[in-house]
Amino acid sequence: MSKPIFKEVDDLPTGGLTVTALKSLDFLIPGQWQNLTGFDNTIRAVTGETDEALIQQIGERAVALYNDKSQGYQRALWLYSTVESGSGLLGAAALANRIGQDSFLGFLKNITPKPETAQSIDLCVKLVTELVAFCQINGIPGDSIGDFLAALGDYSGESLMRMAALVCFDGVIPLGPEFADKALSVFDSTPAKELEGNQTYKSVQELIPGHDSAQKKGFITQSFDSTKGWMKRFVADKNVTQQGLLGRIRGFIDFTDDKADYVGALLDMNVKYYRHTGLQTLARRLIERAVAEI
Amino acid sequence: MVTSSRQTVASLLLSLSFVTVACAPEAPSRYDQVQQETAQKGSVAVSKEAVNGGQFNRYFPKSQAGFAVVPAQEKKGFAEHKVNRGGKNVAVLSVNDTVSNPAAAQKFQQSQMRIGGFPAVEQGQTGTAVLVGDRFQVKAQSRDPSFTQQDRAAWLQKFDLNGLSNLK
Repeated sequence: MSKPIFKEVDDLPTGGLTVTALKSLDFLIPGQWQNLTGFDNTIRAVTGETDEALIQQIGERAVALYNDKSQGYQRALWLYSTVESGSGLLGAAALANRIGQDSFLGFLKNITPKPETAQSIDLCVKLVTELVAFCQINGIPGDSIGDFLAALGDYSGESLMRMAALVCFDGVIPLGPEFADKALSVFDSTPAKELEGNQTYKSVQELIPGHDSAQKKGFITQSFDSTKGWMKRFVADKNVTQQGLLGRIRGFIDFTDDKADYVGALLDMNVKYYRHTGLQTLARRLIERAVAEI
Repeated sequence: MVTSSRQTVASLLLSLSFVTVACAPEAPSRYDQVQQETAQKGSVAVSKEAVNGGQFNRYFPKSQAGFAVVPAQEKKGFAEHKVNRGGKNVAVLSVNDTVSNPAAAQKFQQSQMRIGGFPAVEQGQTGTAVLVGDRFQVKAQSRDPSFTQQDRAAWLQKFDLNGLSNLK
C-alpha cells in the first residue's frame, strides 16, 4: 500500500538543501513559490476555506481520488520521484567522471559517461517527465505536446519554480548558457541503444509515449525541441547566467572556482526539487478537483 | 534468586519499553478512516458511468471582456476552467458528474435557491453551485476577493446549463 497522500504532503520538508536551493531562485520569479507544506494547509491555501467540516470533506474526497489508481495521481508522483532518483545516480556517475579527469583515477572515465552527454540526457528526460506527469495530473492525452506548451505559458507557483530549477540546475549550471541547443544536439546524436543504458531514461521510460526506444527518443526530441524556445526566453528575459547562479549557490554551498564543475553533480545528488515541487503541484490540482466535486 | 527474577523483570520491562517506542503508532490523522476505506486494491472514486470531462467543455462560458477562460483539468467525470483577469487567477469554474459521489447532489434537495431555473447552493465562503439535470454539478469558486458571490451567480448563468441538462 502506498503512503497516504495526506502523509506525503504533511511530510514535505520546510528546510534543508532542496528548500534552500529552491529559495535561492526566488530572484528569478519573485514571490511565486511559497513552499506550501501540510495537507490541511494546502487545502486552506488553495480553496480559501476555513470551516473545519468543509476542509474535512475536501480532504476526504482528495484522499479517495488519489487512492483510485486509474486517476493517474499516483503515477505522476511516481514519475516525479523516480526521475530524480535516476538522475541522482547520474550525479554520482558525473562526479566520478570529473574525479577521473582531474586525478590519477583516470580509468574511471572508462566506466562512467561523459558529464555533458549524461547531463544532456538527464535534462531532456526530465523535461519529458514534466510533460507526461502534467498530462497524468490534468487528464490530457499523454502525447499532447501542444496542450503542454499552451499550459507552460500559464505555469505559476510551484510548477513555474520546478521549470526554473530545471533550467538553472540541470541546464545553465552544468551545460552553460547555450544549454538548450547543446542538450538537444547531444541528445539527438545519442543512439537509442546508448539511451537504454542511461539511468534517468531507464527509470521512467515505461511511461514515455512510444513502442520502443527509437520512438521514445523521437518523442523526447520533439518535446524538447518544442519547449526549447520557452527555456531560452526564460534565460534571456531573466538574464540568467552561470556565474550569477553559482554566486547564489555559494550562499549555501561552500566551493572554490576550480570546483565549480562539481556543483551540478552535487546538486543532482542532494537536491530533490522535482519530487518536492511535483508533489506540491499534484496536491494543489487534486484539492482543486476535490473541492469542485463535493 | 530474587535478584535475578527482579533483573529479569527489569530487563523485560526495558525491552518492552523499547518495543513500545519502536512501534509507537504515528499520530492519528483525521483522514485515517477514509484512507482505510479507499486504500484497498482496485479502489474506485470515479464511476465507470461518469461522462468524460472532455464532453463538458462546450458548455463552459467563453473568454470575454477582460476575462480569459482557460481550460485547466479534464478528467473522467470532471472538467475545470480557470478565469483569469490581467494574468491573475480570480475564479475557477467546474462541472462534475455526481454519479461518482451522489452525496454531492444531496445538498441541493433542501435548497430554495435557484440559478438559471436550477437548484443552487452556497458552499463555504467561496463557492456557489447548481445541480443540472439532477446529475451534473456546476460550480463557480472565487480565488480572489474581487470575484464576489454575485459574480459567481452571474458566471454560472453564462454556462449553457440547459444544454448540459440534456447530456446523457
